[in-house]
Amino acid sequence: MQGFSGGGDGATAELAHLQSTMSAIEAACTSIQMHLNPAAAEATILSLSRSPQPYKACQFILENSQVANARFQAAGAIRDAAIREWAFLTAEDRRSLVSFCLGFAMQHAGSPEGYVLAKVSSVAAQLLKRGWHDFSTAEKETFFHQIKQASLGIHGVHVQFIGINFLESLVSEFSPSTSSAMGLPREFHEQCRRSLELDYLKVFYCWTRDAALSVANKITESDSAVDEVKVCTAALRLILQILNWEFQCNSNGKKGVNVFSSGIRQDAGLSNRSECILVQPGPGWRDILISSRDIVWLLNLYTALRQKFSHEGFSIDCPIAVSARKLIMQYCSLTGTIFPSDNGQLQEHHLLQLLSGIIHWIDPPDLVSKQIECGKSERSLFSESPSAAGYFSDYVLVTHQILLSCLCSEMLDGCRALLAMATVTSPTMFNQLLKSIRPFGTFTLLSTLMCEVIKVLMTKAPDEETWSWEARDILLDTWTALLMPLDSAGGIVLLPPEGVDAAATLFTFIVESELKAASASAFNDDVDSDYLHTSISAMDERLSSYALIARAAIDVAIPLLTRHCTERFTRLHQGGGSLDPTETLEEVYSLLLITGHVLADEGEGETPLVPTAIQRHIADSVVPDKNPVVILCSSIVRFAEQSLNPESRSSFFSPRLMEAIIWFLARWSQTYLMSPEGSQDSSYSSKADNMHQVQSISSGQTVLRYFSEYDHGKTVLDIIVRVAIATFMSYPGEKFLQGLTCYQLLHALVRQKNICIHLVTLESWSKLAIAFANEKMLFMLNASHQKSLAQTLVLSASGFRDSESANQYVRILMGHMTAYLVEISSKNDLKRVAEQPDTILSVTCLLERLRGAASASEPRMQKSIYQMGSSILNSTLILLEVYKHESAVIYLLLKFVVEWVEGQISYLEAQETTVVIDYCMRLLQLYSSHNIGKISLSLSSSLLNDAKSEKYKDLRALLQLLASLCSKDLVDFSSDSLEAHGTSISQVVFYGLHIVTPLISLELLKYPKLCRDYFSLLSHMLEVYPEMVGQLNNEAFSHILETLQFGLHHQDSEVVNMCLRALRALASYHYKETASGKMGLGSHASSLRNPKGELQEGIFSRFLRTTLQLLLFEDYSPDLVGAAADALFPLILCEQGLYQKLGNELIERQANQTFKSRLTNALQSLTSSNQLSCTLDRMNYQRFRKNLTNFLIEVRGFLRIV
Amino acid sequence: MSDEEHHFEAKGDAGASKTYPQQAGTIRKNGYIVIKNRPCKVVEVSTSKTGKHGHAKCHFVGIDIFNNKKLEDIVPSSHNCDVPHVTRTDYQLIDISEDGFVSLLTETGGTKDDLRLPTDDNLLGQIKDGFAEGKDLVVTVMSSMGEEQICALKDIGPKN
Repeated sequence: MQGFSGGGDGATAELAHLQSTMSAIEAACTSIQMHLNPAAAEATILSLSRSPQPYKACQFILENSQVANARFQAAGAIRDAAIREWAFLTAEDRRSLVSFCLGFAMQHAGSPEGYVLAKVSSVAAQLLKRGWHDFSTAEKETFFHQIKQASLGIHGVHVQFIGINFLESLVSEFSPSTSSAMGLPREFHEQCRRSLELDYLKVFYCWTRDAALSVANKITESDSAVDEVKVCTAALRLILQILNWEFQCNSNGKKGVNVFSSGIRQDAGLSNRSECILVQPGPGWRDILISSRDIVWLLNLYTALRQKFSHEGFSIDCPIAVSARKLIMQYCSLTGTIFPSDNGQLQEHHLLQLLSGIIHWIDPPDLVSKQIECGKSERSLFSESPSAAGYFSDYVLVTHQILLSCLCSEMLDGCRALLAMATVTSPTMFNQLLKSIRPFGTFTLLSTLMCEVIKVLMTKAPDEETWSWEARDILLDTWTALLMPLDSAGGIVLLPPEGVDAAATLFTFIVESELKAASASAFNDDVDSDYLHTSISAMDERLSSYALIARAAIDVAIPLLTRHCTERFTRLHQGGGSLDPTETLEEVYSLLLITGHVLADEGEGETPLVPTAIQRHIADSVVPDKNPVVILCSSIVRFAEQSLNPESRSSFFSPRLMEAIIWFLARWSQTYLMSPEGSQDSSYSSKADNMHQVQSISSGQTVLRYFSEYDHGKTVLDIIVRVAIATFMSYPGEKFLQGLTCYQLLHALVRQKNICIHLVTLESWSKLAIAFANEKMLFMLNASHQKSLAQTLVLSASGFRDSESANQYVRILMGHMTAYLVEISSKNDLKRVAEQPDTILSVTCLLERLRGAASASEPRMQKSIYQMGSSILNSTLILLEVYKHESAVIYLLLKFVVEWVEGQISYLEAQETTVVIDYCMRLLQLYSSHNIGKISLSLSSSLLNDAKSEKYKDLRALLQLLASLCSKDLVDFSSDSLEAHGTSISQVVFYGLHIVTPLISLELLKYPKLCRDYFSLLSHMLEVYPEMVGQLNNEAFSHILETLQFGLHHQDSEVVNMCLRALRALASYHYKETASGKMGLGSHASSLRNPKGELQEGIFSRFLRTTLQLLLFEDYSPDLVGAAADALFPLILCEQGLYQKLGNELIERQANQTFKSRLTNALQSLTSSNQLSCTLDRMNYQRFRKNLTNFLIEVRGFLRIV
Repeated sequence: MSDEEHHFEAKGDAGASKTYPQQAGTIRKNGYIVIKNRPCKVVEVSTSKTGKHGHAKCHFVGIDIFNNKKLEDIVPSSHNCDVPHVTRTDYQLIDISEDGFVSLLTETGGTKDDLRLPTDDNLLGQIKDGFAEGKDLVVTVMSSMGEEQICALKDIGPKN
């Protein structure tokens, strides 16, 4: 270690030493590059940065080494060492390190190895930040003066570049999201951020702008200003970075944002929109950003670059142009208090300035897109016919291609700028912007632009990545930003009339092109297997944007959709099976998707309201039958009803069409069908709708009332249920369709209480229930669909008015299944038939159904579900025995038991609880007897892995079972106490744990979920019932300890946390017990001689060692310190002697005297400061937490290194 | 998209009691299936459609339970597949003969001597070592479609 510190006697010896260090590092760097023994080379380099005070050596290398990599590594070593040793460095050392790095970078500014310079200046930036509070203002001023000189170009362009580069590193170091770790608390980074924002950021901005200004003329005038271009690009990039700063002190620095809780920026909602970040620097920046002529200058610069490039064939895609465009877009995103409250005049002026520069990139849209597309086709022409290309020189061809890609990216950036403007303005202002330079508003431009983009898109193959995809997504985001501004919180946005017209035109065009695309793709067979998932879920986002546009022009959109639907429905009927309907089917399919999105929102578990646009929309006629929304909905429901007719079903209701229908019905019914609002009087509309009080009733209200329970609701519900039955009975094997019906449609229906009330009275619903119990077809459904169906049917019982009939309904529904299961299990030749595939299938289906029913446990149906389970307890044990080799069945069986117990346990009376607990214990024993010591074998590793993961799933289920038994002690609704019947839950669960733990090998604990379940159960048990641990036998006890030991070193900090909690519980229990003269954990706690005569430490000694080792020497998340303190404190109290010994050992090991005394003091104050006493109460735990945190800050740094 | 074909159609050739017909759509991952007349464990099921508006079909990837070869099949999901009857029986191990055969004790008290030791090294080692140490071993024999193989081993421990 001393090798690099340079403690030689004479100057020559020192020089020789530095030389040897340098050659060692150089050799290491070279060998890493050559891939010769990289581990050893890395160790050499690491030893440099880990050695104490390696600065001299590093500086020597930087100045003398010919190997660039070695210089790079030396710079890194300075950084690592200085950050680590900062506290011990003298003020002079600190200052000289920073100024060395700065000076080095500037002196070597012209060096070709840019990455070394970048590294050195970033090291300087990091050290400057580390010492931000240590350096005096005068010292900082000296540094910054140097930087200012450099960045203004006084020492030439190269140094100018370095200056800007340094500022760039500095800004990114001070920005919390990009700062590098320094082992300091977050407060430090926060203070630095604040200080920089308040005192320096604006100054940096000005320097950078001046730097850019100083070189701009040269660039536009000359062709060979390569270095100037580099400087200008860097300057633009830095300005962009400064504008990207997360401004927080924007209202005179008084905005008290809680930086510790606000991990996410407030505009997080924007993050899913295309890279649009709001820039909110606050009023202090007004004079610099807005009032200065920077924007005009920037726009002029870009225009000049553009002209220059288009003439001379340079690329607009070169970094300087890209940075300039990015910066222009960034200026578009300026918002907030930087603009005075003058009705947005200044902002409008600002945006107008920008828009007049940007407009050439995107207007006129048809011309722009034609240019891009023409270029493309010409290019492909060239490549196809080389003779034609021969006419042009290669140079022109290349130029042409580059120009083309530039046009694309310029156009895309134009769209992004529109998006940025849309985000910061209101729709009205947005529209107004363009009016002063064009005869139309911005909305019209947006609409034409998008139509143009879609037009291009339609000519492309769907899998072709083109610019039009991206442009379309950006423009859609623009619409979303306009129609759903972030601050409006779902309120309605009023568009200017021109905006509404633009939306109408656009939506009409969108629908037409979607339909065209649909019919064109109807015969595309080569779709991959999960095409539907992509078409429904991934298209979802796009469709929701379409829906927003449609809702903006609702007057046009609804009749348009109705017209398209009716047209296609009639066409299908006229076809009558003779024509191939596929194209029309595909059109209807996409129409249904679009309509579904326009009419209703996604519920996401909540009941979605009628979209505001439809709600507020005032129809010409209040007669429900003529309301356009009612007409559209009814026509689709009627169409769906036709699928019940076998003839039309076979001629055109294909599975895919049915999928769309079911999806639509599910989405639509959540909003409109029997909505509680529809059943109320019109009082709602007058309350919510002050604006339209004169109108007695709004359109939304009309629609809701039309489909309410008093009107057409029941009929429609009946149709929906019958369509659902049809998907089960008439579409065998269509798993996806049936899944949609189960999970989306029926689930959504029974979730609503008012629908359930009507469901249970419907004849079609009882038909479904009867079919479910008896029909062979429904036993052919996918097993998990059967589970869901059982759950749905049981849940619907909540629609009964009294619990008696609800229970009766469940009994009848499930009685058949339980009887069937009992019958199977009591067959004499069960052993023989059990392994036949058809029996396995039946048992699987029955178990899935029972599991579904069990998971639907609600207080109202609890009785019957308990009976359902208890009637098959014996059968399940028989099946467990018979199917011991059939892991899939076993897993289902366990899952059924888990869900049944979980749903029931808190309601059970003592008597019933005893039954359930006895049963669970028998189940555990049986399972364990089948599996313990079993080795399954398979030649194939994938089957072997399957077997392992099956076992893991089983065990996880068993742990869940124990955990839900545990909950009986916490939540219990029964009338008499369990203790009266002599059953102790804790005993039972410990017994269960005793059975299960031997099955859980350390290998299995590598499954993260199982691991968490196991440790959460274990720590719960140890925390709540520590007294039970003493009663465990040695084997079980040591297994538990072994797993705890394992858990303490787990990488999941949650697991470690749980282990620490368990330790705390054990130790504090033992300490309290022994203090009051009792046994505590007795023999487990004390050291013993094992039969072989070796001394075995007591458990607390072992864990004291482990915990200390962990805290002082290992890596862990800082969140764990609190929990570790809570565990360590009682451990120390239990084993004070050992603690003293360990402490002394630690001190003895320190060679360095300063460290030694620091450690002694720290250990001293760990146990004595803050009036810590020897009782285990809350106060003391808190004091100890504080002490431990201080202790770790004080000593961990050097303990880990030395 | 005309017919509603959900009646059973028995494929006769596979040996009546050795396999059972089952609708393809109901066969799950980890279940069994006969592919190319071999009993397989299903390791992957995916569904797709014959044409956009056609019916669903299932794509199975199975692993032969005896020789671990990978096999694949595509079946319309409303059609029937053959599912093999797979049984597993536990026998106590009595002896290992030198020519690689094992001698097993049947439930009725007879012996079964026609099974070879497994080829898998791990299992083989476990059996041989365990047997040499005098442990009481129970082996599980998996049989299906006329084939048999030892597939698992359990040490029931020395009797107390």
